Amino acid sequence: MSVQKLKEEAARALGRKDVKYLIGYKKGSYGFRVSPAFIEPKEDIDQLIMSPLCNMSLVKYVMLEEALPSLTEQEKKPSKIAIVARGCDSRAINLLIEEKGVPREKLYIIGVSCAGAIDQRKIEARFPRVTEPAEVTEENGNYIITVNGQVHTVPKEELLAELCKLCRYPTPVIYDKLIGDKLPTKPFHYDEIKAFEALPLEERFAFWQQQFTKCIRCYACRNVCPLCYSTICSLDSLSPQWLRRSVDTSENFMFQIIRTFHLAGRCIGCGECERVCPMNLPLMKLNRKLAQDAKLLFNYDSGTDPKTKPLLTTFHTEDPQGFIL
Amino acid sequence: MDIFILQKESVPDFLSSLSADYAVWAPIQKDGDTFFEPMPDSRNTSPDLTRQAKIIKQTIFPQTEPLYSYDQNDQIQAPDFEDIKQTALFGVRPCDARSLTLLDPVFAGDIPDPYYQSRRNKALLIGMACTEPFANCFCTSVGGSPCGQEGLDLLCLDLGDRYLVSVLTEKGKGLSDAASSLFTKASAEDMKQGQELSQKAEQSIKRHIDLTGVTDTLGKIFEHPVWKKMTLKCIGCGICTYTCPTCYCFDIQDEPMAKKKGRRVRVWDSCMYKEYTLHASGHNPRPTRVERLKNRIYHKFKFNVDTHGAFGCVGCGRCITLCPVNEDIIENLLDVKGAA
Repeated sequence: MSVQKLKEEAARALGRKDVKYLIGYKKGSYGFRVSPAFIEPKEDIDQLIMSPLCNMSLVKYVMLEEALPSLTEQEKKPSKIAIVARGCDSRAINLLIEEKGVPREKLYIIGVSCAGAIDQRKIEARFPRVTEPAEVTEENGNYIITVNGQVHTVPKEELLAELCKLCRYPTPVIYDKLIGDKLPTKPFHYDEIKAFEALPLEERFAFWQQQFTKCIRCYACRNVCPLCYSTICSLDSLSPQWLRRSVDTSENFMFQIIRTFHLAGRCIGCGECERVCPMNLPLMKLNRKLAQDAKLLFNYDSGTDPKTKPLLTTFHTEDPQGFIL
Repeated sequence: MDIFILQKESVPDFLSSLSADYAVWAPIQKDGDTFFEPMPDSRNTSPDLTRQAKIIKQTIFPQTEPLYSYDQNDQIQAPDFEDIKQTALFGVRPCDARSLTLLDPVFAGDIPDPYYQSRRNKALLIGMACTEPFANCFCTSVGGSPCGQEGLDLLCLDLGDRYLVSVLTEKGKGLSDAASSLFTKASAEDMKQGQELSQKAEQSIKRHIDLTGVTDTLGKIFEHPVWKKMTLKCIGCGICTYTCPTCYCFDIQDEPMAKKKGRRVRVWDSCMYKEYTLHASGHNPRPTRVERLKNRIYHKFKFNVDTHGAFGCVGCGRCITLCPVNEDIIENLLDVKGAA
């Protein structure tokens, strides 16, 4: 994947009359971090990067955009946001379009074929206490890592995010421009979910109890999720107060159940919730269980086609009904 | 005060000698992360000394604290502060210990907060010097040091197979006296080694910012467009505030309980949340993330200076490391300086 190509496409996008700014990646403030970059027309495109370190989804920023104060002001401004999207991000965009969360015309999508991103925790454990900006490229199944002027070669397998190993759509499914070769779609499998489901109920309950006790309710999992975009969230509601502000295992369970259920038939599996959790909770275990059900029961893969309707808004007479009491 | 040597192999003995009079808390490994928690058994646990995900603030100022319970007959039951056990916190990072000295004036006030005070007065802090600071540590830029002593009763410095233990307060002296068989007098050689290590630690802090004049600058740039630029990537979660050792904002809530009872609780609040300044009328004086992030910076680097005479930040770097989107407080402060 060529960064030069990305910069050319970014320049082209920002040259369009209807694009107001572009969201991409730039080098972060230290070590292995990358940062979102918001670039307006005529601003420096050279700061744009694309590397295996680009592990965050930028789709959220489309939904976080603060509305302009008046309609006339909105009409005057160019309307499109250009966004760099990987495979998983494009699925999120697709679902947002399906759900009418964002109109297709509002986006100019620069799709990037993605061979997987590095798990921040893994690389920081391998190279601890790195403050100086580091660089990573991928070559023949290895990551070539430059830290403090020294070059290290690490097998990709060792640093790749676990969730990226399960990715089925490495190539964006929706885009205006695609950068990089089309990579094949990978087969569906949920082996780790099946293994977990096979455990006795008590054991599963004890597992989640231990996990949710750690939750500090920073709501980063909700805030980072590209598909959590309710303007009034039940978790924030004061009247009625669905969720107590007390932080304990019981309320934390309630919080995570609400969060997970709102993603039923929706989660596209980018893993942002798990990536950002300061307490390292394995939240994708819950999300992937729901994705597995959507696939096995309804043969539905969220966000793979903007022309389909969201799973929970459709009904077919042949839908399985075994769970209806 | 005295400086002793404590052999590493004697640490479990030292901790179990403490556990007679104190509830001992220490950093404990769980699922690959470190949590500051009560030690289940000091004999079998070797405390891990990495930076803790859950911070020591919670031992004094817990995230959820029941203030009192009530029932329909107006019977109010407040906690008995006498019941609170003496607590010894082992393995406290100097920045975290210093953070308590910044929280103290907040909860001292005209009417001292009995909940905070009762725990604080019964807490004993045994520090562990940061001989290997983390990537985003910047304590030296806000007046701290990786081997700082502020707020601690004892400070341990890792000399390899043994700790150099500085006794810093009367309370700390009581501890070393009580377990005197485990402590031996430090030699001049040990002290020299300790001094070298402290210097090395200080030099290995890699992130710096000169904050001279930043409080004055903040007084002039409240409406500056730089705040919007700074906030573009913030997603408005509470990580930076909930993992911050100096943040102390809280909310008070009434919660119904079983059997027609209820309780009033104090819970941490975060200025990054929409609800934080939401008025009953529906009006919100901090309607967007821009005003919220701005408040966080102002509180730490202006309001706290104006009210308590010190930055409300100890440079632990957690907000930088744990931020999902690389919102970096050092970069924010550089932006502030640039806007002057």
